[in-house]
This record gives sequence, C-alpha cells and structure tokens, in this order.
Amino acid sequence: MRVKDHLAVALVIMPLFMACLKSQAGEKIEMLFHAGVGQRSSLMDIEKILTKRFPGLELNFSFKGSGYFIADIERSKEGDLYMPGEEFYLLQALERGYADAYDPVKDSPAYFMTVIITPKGNPAKITKIADFARPGVKVSLGNPQACAIGIWHEKTFKKAGIFEQVQKNQVHSAKCIAEVATAVQQKAADASIVWATTAVLYLKDIDTIPIEPKYRGFVNLPLATLTTSKHPDMARKIKEFILSSEAKEIFRSHAYVIDPGPLDKDGFCTDGGKATEGDCKWLVEAVKVARDDSIPVNERTCGHLVGEVKRQRKTTRAGD
Amino acid sequence: MNEEAIHVQRTPAGVGVPHSSFPSLPALCIAAVCVTLLGYLALIASNAAYLGWSDLMSFLPRERLWVRFWLTVRTSALATGFSLLIGMPAGYALSRFRFPCRTLLVTLIDLPVMVPAAAVGVFLFGVVKSFPVRQLSEMLDMRFAHNANCIVLVQFAVTVAFCVRLMKASFDAVNPRFEQVSRSLGASLPGTLLHVTLPLAKNGIIASGIVVWARAAAEWEGLMLFVGGTMAKTDVMPFAVYLDWNGGMMGWVVTFSLVCVALAVTSMAAVRWIGGRSYVW
Repeated sequence: MRVKDHLAVALVIMPLFMACLKSQAGEKIEMLFHAGVGQRSSLMDIEKILTKRFPGLELNFSFKGSGYFIADIERSKEGDLYMPGEEFYLLQALERGYADAYDPVKDSPAYFMTVIITPKGNPAKITKIADFARPGVKVSLGNPQACAIGIWHEKTFKKAGIFEQVQKNQVHSAKCIAEVATAVQQKAADASIVWATTAVLYLKDIDTIPIEPKYRGFVNLPLATLTTSKHPDMARKIKEFILSSEAKEIFRSHAYVIDPGPLDKDGFCTDGGKATEGDCKWLVEAVKVARDDSIPVNERTCGHLVGEVKRQRKTTRAGD
Repeated sequence: MNEEAIHVQRTPAGVGVPHSSFPSLPALCIAAVCVTLLGYLALIASNAAYLGWSDLMSFLPRERLWVRFWLTVRTSALATGFSLLIGMPAGYALSRFRFPCRTLLVTLIDLPVMVPAAAVGVFLFGVVKSFPVRQLSEMLDMRFAHNANCIVLVQFAVTVAFCVRLMKASFDAVNPRFEQVSRSLGASLPGTLLHVTLPLAKNGIIASGIVVWARAAAEWEGLMLFVGGTMAKTDVMPFAVYLDWNGGMMGWVVTFSLVCVALAVTSMAAVRWIGGRSYVW
C-alpha cells in the first residue's frame, strides 16, 4: 500500500507543482498565424527562416480546417496573419472587417493545381477526365458544401459534360481533401481529383496523372494580415517574406504552382498547359523515384520535389 | 421463457443468483466479450502490420513523438489536478449532504458530461474573454490564446463534471456507518473526513483520478475549436493524429494512434491495479 500512497500523493502534488511553474517570457514578439491545415509543411519551413531572420520572433500557428477560422477570429479577436486554403474564407474575413486590404493577384504566394489520383498501379486505367464517366469506375467526390475540392469536382466534370455519369460512379463522399486521398490510397475508390499538394504527400501509395490542360484548374492560396494584430509592422514583414520569391520556392517544393499561366474566369488553364508542364512532369517523376530506391534523389531525377521524395523514402509509411 | 426454466443456483460462488437452464446463454455472453476483444485486437494488429516493425522502430525513438507525448501527459495531469480540487469536495458534498435543490444541482453538474466537447470549446471562447476570467488571467499574466494554458482549460472543462461524478461514486462506496461511529466517538467532521472517509475512499479516488486523466488525454474536439494546432506547442497526441492525417503522414498517424492505445491500456490497467475493489469504474 505504501507504493500506492506515494502514487496518490504524486498524482495530486505534481500537477499543482507544475501549475506553479510560470513560463519564462523574455523579450520576444509572439504572433499568431491562422492557417489551413494543408499549408502546414510549407509554413513550417518558412517559420525556420523567419525565426532566424527576426530574432525574438515566436510564430505560433493555429492549424485547423479553413472553415473554423472565422468563428475563431470573431470570438477570440486574436491573430496577426491569416492563410486559409480557400479564398472564400478570406473574403468572409475581409467582409467582416478582420482582414486588412487583400489583393487576389498580389497577395497569393502560390496556386493549387488539380491532378487526377488513382491507387498505386492505376487498376481502372484512368488517363483522362472522360474516363471518370466509364461505367464501373469507382469515384470519390468531395462534398461541395464541406470542402473546396468538392466544388472543383463539380466544376471540372460539368465543364467536361460528364457530371451526371460521374455522380452515378460515385462511391464515396468526402468532407475534406484528406478523406478523398485516403479513399484512393486505401483502394476504396479507383480515382479522384485532388490538389497536387495533396497528391505529393502519398507518392508511394498513389499514382498521379496530370489533367488535360483545358480541364486543369488552379486556385490561389490567399494571405492577409489581420486587423486584430498586436504587431502590425511585424505582420506586414512576415507577409512580405511569404510573398517573396524565396518563400515561393518553398511552396513550390511542396508541389504548389507559382506561375499557372493565363487562366479563364473559372480558374481553368488557357495556355495549353505550357506554364505548368514542368510542374506536372516532376510530379509524375517523383512518384517513380519515391518507389525505386535504386534511383538517386536529386534535382535531375525529381526536380523541385527532392525534399518530399527524400522524406517519403526514409520509411515505408510517410513520416517527416 | 417459462418460469420452470428458471431456477435459483445455490453454489458458494453465486448464492441466490437466478440461473437460466438455457445452457448456451453464459457461453453466448462470454463469446460477446471475446468477439469485442478480438475486434480490438484485430484493429490494433492490422494497424501495427500496416506500419511494419521497421517503421515502428524508426518512429518510436524520435523526439517528435515524445514532445507530443509529454505535452499530453503534462497538460492532462494539470487538468486532472484541477478537476480533483473541485471534484473531491463536490463529490463528497453530493454523496453525503442533503440540501435544497440537490437534484437540480446534480443534474446541472452532470451537464458537461452530456454536452459535446465541441460545444464546451465554443463556450470557452466566451468565458476567457469575459469578466472575471479575463481580468484574472491578465493579473496573473496567464494568456489563454492558442497555448498550453488553453489545452489545460479545455481538458479541465470537459473532465471536471466527470470527475465530480466519479468522486461521488467513490464516496458512495464508503459505508457511512464508519463515519457515524467516528462522530459518535467525538471526532469532528473534518477529522472524520481526514482519518476515516478519505483513507477508505482512497483507492476509488486514485482510480477516478486515472480515469479522469485518461479522458483528458483523449480530448480533441474542444481543442480543435478553442485552441488549434501549433506544432509541438498545442498538438497533444489526438490533435497530432488529425494534423498528420491531413498532411498524409500515415506513418506518424498510425504511430501516434498506437501510442494513444498503449496509454489507454496502461491507464485502465492502473485503474484495476490501484483501484482494487473500488467500484467507480
């Protein structure tokens, strides 16, 4: 019983002791950055550079689904920067007076690009958008009310005139893009469309197929400083850095597109895919390199996706 | 079932226990338990197999895992400490005293057990920005903004009612006759509480504390709304699973999940070991 007595005392005393330990706050600028959970890897890389460049800067990220932020900012009245995965949410923040002036062209460091994904080996032999309408193909679609990729599924298949047939092939309705990718990875679906930034996270388990240029869609990644910022000057400096070419290269290394070329009013490619030819090529090559240990990992074999391939080659299941 | 089919089993182990003559009923019940356990095992084994031994050994020693593990342990321990500070006296009061509107109070105290943790997270936004919490936190230089303080607050908010309920059960398990004897021999109420009630309820209190701790460590919904995930600062284990799942890091997702299961199993084993014959859980 003596051991149990000690455990009981420890259970009560330890938390109280720890509660008495106050954090040692030095001379630092603590900032809060609301960001969509999909932007995590890029922003973590950017944070490393920023904290070196601005000693004393402590950049706290609040990663959530993009839809959670408006309520968070509205209730907490806190935050310095905001980068949701979809412009719609930033426009809402702007409308409610929480975001500073935002220019959709200048204030976007990168773009999301749509790609087709299939399970490893592409069992249903999907090569183009029209294949989604083939009878018997199992398709995973995002719910347009719950995630931005769902809106793009609808837009893309409607543009191709096959939305109704694709809906008949739908076997899974996802609330977020990670669900779409997991459904394909687990072979619950034969194909779907996701952002290249999502496809690149599953190099070993998912095949990536570039979409034909006329159906290839692009969405900008928006960024704004917040009116609730306690350090507006520092927030502006961080925003400037994120919009710099140095930071854009970081986004590119996570499969964002920096220059999508000319787009139509719906965000579809209009240059025949010239501007994004390289991005698509390296996505396909990265899959090959990630799966074949005999191929060296360098810029000649997988272009700007070296970091992603190296990360995923370390273990069978992706870590970091 | 007709009445003749039921007779009373009179054995040393189960005197007076009604026993069905339907021979396969106990077997069916035990089979149900086995199927449930097999289901658990299959879930764990399939995930462990998916990850593979080599990956598991590669992820387990990494600092990334242990930073989140200790963050979870630390915040849950703090939340449990605070829950116990409220839960013990409240549970004692509900178990031993009769006062006006007791039923109403018991119902109100139980409310957070029924309310979704997400709703608790939403309410906390209002609480920390209002009098007196805002003034108090400013005075104590304790910020409640997307940091570890917020994690403890959410965990405390979702577990405190649970803690009161378990403490009440612990004190209910103590025969009040012992306290009456103590009082009749001249001991004061605090003296009786300290020297009779608490030692008798001790195992139940410890077991309850562990259950509360495990519940706090598993909290996620409230954190998602109220705190958000900051790498290595607010992403306790369940949150890390969510963030890494979104990042396609399936290796980490499965590793974190397996460690969460290990934590839960250890906690429940500790409840059984320390709790002994206290029937709080």
